[in-house]
Amino acid sequence: MFKSKKNLIIYIVLSIGLFFTSFPYLWMVLSSFKVSAEIVTRFIPTKLTFDNYIFVFSGQQRNFLVGLLNSFIISIIPVISTIFFSLLTAYAFRRIKIWGYRFFENFVIYQILFPQVLFLVPLFLVMRNLGQVNTYGGMTIRYLISPWAIFIYSQFFKTVPEALLESARIDGASELQIIFRIMLPLSATTTAIVALFTFMARWSEFLWPMIICKDYAKMPLTVLLALFTKGDLFGAYFGPQIAGATLLSLPIIILFIVFRKYFEKGITFTGLKG
Amino acid sequence: MRKIIKVNRQLQKNIIGYIFSTPYFLFTIAIWLYPFIWGLIISFKRWNLISPTSTWVGLGNYLEVLQDPILWVIIRNSVYFMIVFVGLTTITSLGVALLINQIPKFKSFFVIGFLLSFVSSGVAYSVVFNILFASDGLINNILNIFGVKVGWFTNPSIAMASIALVVSWKFTGYYALFFLSGLNNIPKAIYEAARIDGANPWQSFFKITVPLLNPTFVMIIVFATITSFNLFAEPYMITGGGPMNATKTMMLEIYNRVFEFLQVGYGSTLAIVSAIITFIFVCIFKKLVERDVYV
Repeated sequence: MFKSKKNLIIYIVLSIGLFFTSFPYLWMVLSSFKVSAEIVTRFIPTKLTFDNYIFVFSGQQRNFLVGLLNSFIISIIPVISTIFFSLLTAYAFRRIKIWGYRFFENFVIYQILFPQVLFLVPLFLVMRNLGQVNTYGGMTIRYLISPWAIFIYSQFFKTVPEALLESARIDGASELQIIFRIMLPLSATTTAIVALFTFMARWSEFLWPMIICKDYAKMPLTVLLALFTKGDLFGAYFGPQIAGATLLSLPIIILFIVFRKYFEKGITFTGLKG
Repeated sequence: MRKIIKVNRQLQKNIIGYIFSTPYFLFTIAIWLYPFIWGLIISFKRWNLISPTSTWVGLGNYLEVLQDPILWVIIRNSVYFMIVFVGLTTITSLGVALLINQIPKFKSFFVIGFLLSFVSSGVAYSVVFNILFASDGLINNILNIFGVKVGWFTNPSIAMASIALVVSWKFTGYYALFFLSGLNNIPKAIYEAARIDGANPWQSFFKITVPLLNPTFVMIIVFATITSFNLFAEPYMITGGGPMNATKTMMLEIYNRVFEFLQVGYGSTLAIVSAIITFIFVCIFKKLVERDVYV
């Protein structure tokens, strides 16, 4: 394998780089099991403790388990809804080619490139007027349909041969059946990419849920952990903070490792997202 | 007769298509167009979020934003961030990509490994870096062996660079992937020809590789510009915009003004000014960096 000395050196350098990339994670997972005195002084703990996790799981008001559940709820709703509506919209634009579809497709691209900062304040006011403050709706409604997903679905739909759809129509399939029986299975990879990137973006999101949700019982873990860390009460509780960071990171890392192929494809496929 | 049937079929298809895309149209009007226009209107008003009435101030908010010294502090911080971030990520991700490009095996293992930092949530790694780089944290304890102590997030002149370091950590693998696909697009024959003409590896790197990776460089710089004005989770979690406003970003200022001081009109104006500044910066950088490259 190591044909030359040069290759060996490259492997060593890359491994050192990989160590720096994963070091914060390693330290985080190890530290979440440390007693507080060893967090800043030692890398490898001398004894393991579950106290940090017990602490964050037993909070009366700020329970990180509830936070995890909330994070999951506000991440999975946009995933399902985005896939459903983006399939329908992309099919209407790209395959049915409704009147004005070229304009709509361009508009979708402008929407993706449009600066998000402009929507922060007025969207908050819209949600407040709709009575969606402190609700899951307030945190998810704005993400129910994603222009980005419409864009990558229509990119894929371009490649599906019309003969396939025509033969389905001759067999008596309705347009809805074509979408969900033919297009959806054909675009499994695209769907996986949309699902993973949407889930990841919503799981990690911080600013919007913090603005819209002040209720500890509905907060996703990002907001719960941020307020825990920033607040006066637990600012010096490093152990529980790190346990929270571990809980927030691990699900997404596991998801990433399991579906790594789709992540890699998704990044090179679509370039910059959002 | 046949023509009428054809038109009818066309009409029927369009009706179905419009039914399918109606949710998207309604969504765009309610969640996109309507708030966008509302945001524009608020920027001409003075309003405190709570009172039922607001007053028109014309261009008052805009004048106030442009005269506010904090705007220039934010622009300075953002440019500082861009320089450090672009410098660091270019070195690390191009380095990683060049190395991965040469190895015969385990390519995708390393690609996946370097992407690990990209998937993390901003809040989570901010908590981690905040404790790791604290003045008495593990990193300073290690540096202390050499008699060095760095105020990563407490020294105003390097706090923003430390934030850029954290964000670069996140994006190294992500950009390495783009550099890798850029490298794959360069035909091997060019290097071969250069070698025959007597070019050494350094010459072929700076005369072939770097110019042909121009699109990737442009992308990173554009992205760094957008990121620097939208930076929120990291400075909010780690420094809160301090010390002495050294890590204050546009997003942080908008958040503070609107949701802490309830200056809705001012905040909306700031958002619009931010979008315009970002756009201007992107245009300038594209003009400076972008070259037409043909392979």
